[in-house]
Amino acid sequence: MTNRKGLDGKGKLAVAIGTLKLKNPVMTASGTFGYGEEYAPYVDLNRLGAIIVKGLSLKPRSGNPGPRIMETPAGMLNAIGLQNIGVKSFIRNKLPYLRQFDTAIIANVYGETIEEYLRVSEILTAAGGVHALEINVSCPNVKRGGVAFGTDPDMVAEVTNGVKDVTDLPVIVKLSPNVTDICVMAKAAEAAGADAVSLINTITGMSVDVEKRIPHLKNITGGLSGPAIKPVALRMVWQVAGRVRIPVIGVGGIMSPRDALEFFIAGARAIQVGTANFVEPRATMRIIDGIGAYMKRHRILDMDNLVGSLRI
Amino acid sequence: MWTGSIIFNNKLGPQHLHMAVRLPSEFVNPSPGQFVMIRPARGGEPLLSRPLSIYQFTRNQDHVILEFLYRIVGQGTELLSRLPSAAEVAMLGPLGNGFRIEKNRSHRILLAGGMGVAPITFLAQRLNDLVVTKAELQICLGAKSCAEIVGVERIKGFQGLMNIVTDDGTIGSCGLVTDLLPDITRGCDPCQTMIYACGPMAMLRTLAEELAPTRIPCQVSIEERMACGLGACLGCAVDVHNRRGRRVKKSLCKDGPVFNIEDICWEQL
Repeated sequence: MTNRKGLDGKGKLAVAIGTLKLKNPVMTASGTFGYGEEYAPYVDLNRLGAIIVKGLSLKPRSGNPGPRIMETPAGMLNAIGLQNIGVKSFIRNKLPYLRQFDTAIIANVYGETIEEYLRVSEILTAAGGVHALEINVSCPNVKRGGVAFGTDPDMVAEVTNGVKDVTDLPVIVKLSPNVTDICVMAKAAEAAGADAVSLINTITGMSVDVEKRIPHLKNITGGLSGPAIKPVALRMVWQVAGRVRIPVIGVGGIMSPRDALEFFIAGARAIQVGTANFVEPRATMRIIDGIGAYMKRHRILDMDNLVGSLRI
Repeated sequence: MWTGSIIFNNKLGPQHLHMAVRLPSEFVNPSPGQFVMIRPARGGEPLLSRPLSIYQFTRNQDHVILEFLYRIVGQGTELLSRLPSAAEVAMLGPLGNGFRIEKNRSHRILLAGGMGVAPITFLAQRLNDLVVTKAELQICLGAKSCAEIVGVERIKGFQGLMNIVTDDGTIGSCGLVTDLLPDITRGCDPCQTMIYACGPMAMLRTLAEELAPTRIPCQVSIEERMACGLGACLGCAVDVHNRRGRRVKKSLCKDGPVFNIEDICWEQL
């Protein structure tokens, strides 16, 4: 893949995820940034390291019935159920808009079956203008697929292997925290050829309306995100970064530059901002600026000197 | 995201408040039915902004003033209710699609239940300039009781015939705002009439059932929990029939909050 202007891997915030060069390590987490255009009035999309779009399936999905979200202490529960316009409509209606920006576009791929993951990956690869694939084996809110593939290392390996066979794009495997040992899943993804792992997806949770004695979400359970999950995400990133050689992308409750820096120091090569986009649309801009200011203040020359620099 | 400063945040009752916020003059003129996402500027818990529909908008020379009527329903609105004058709020907006004003329809009926009075008042103000005779605008306000009916004085100041209904009859007639429908719509020409409504789901559902046989068009503003207000999180998705009659998901925050009543799949709500 040829590097476009700005994706040249220069500049002190530049990072590489496999062959994918990013101008900075800040991405938008899938499902929290729509297809990018929703945030264009608020954010200079050119300044983002990467945009990861809402999870795409082969056919459009209408998602779960509402209520789908509920705010909880220091976070929120969601059970959207991967509502999306389908991969073909994405390529026709959303990708041309995204192509004009000087940022990496990463498509999040979801399937109910292995065949579906592979087909969606193939279609996205052929489309052009997508710079990497993030394989979603961790959505907790769907009946089939998603986390069903992410709790068994053999399944993680099978999906990863299959996708690697049908694409030449860098493949990121997004892991679920709802497992006994996330390192086992990360190792399985690495062994199957993944170029990177991103973690964590949401932690399965629940909330009850005590007056009505009903769950706040129609789906009963949902995925917890936001600052509440940050310590768990950070711990898992630190554990996985010590066990795999491929880049680890940290996700979970990052609201501020300081939160992002914790993840880098613990071993994340890049980070994703999710729930913070809902709280403040410009959160990513503030985080990019804050990381730059920190590097300057601490005279850190490049990301390599920051990533995994935890002193124990 | 705008930073606004609270001019006043007055209690109208135990749960009801009237807030005015001063904002920079760059704030775009909102239309009735649009809303903002609002939270205290200093951040903290709860994290997410709350959607509030716009009650009144005033443009002055170097600033604008937005007013809201709201009720404390949970942690977010409770936090807003405690903000003093001069406190700063963070705000996104104006958001969503408001009420469509069709100038060629000469008869307009406005129905508000509970806090639905907020956007309905803003709409009444806008229609005030268009209405020629008093009979061309009918306004019906409903609430649980006298203590819960708010904003009457302002809406009374506009052109139009007023009806007030309360569940317990402590003010106005006793009953539900939808009880007035048969009388108000009797003899209405569906081509000349437009109903605008905002209120609790039960009220809007009844409205949908009763209006179906009359063929009188109606726009309703509905609500759902929201996280982003921008159409990104898909938290506020609602099932709507599209032009071909197929059921599709729409984002209440971006495609709504105002929809044609017959387009909404009421059995889903």
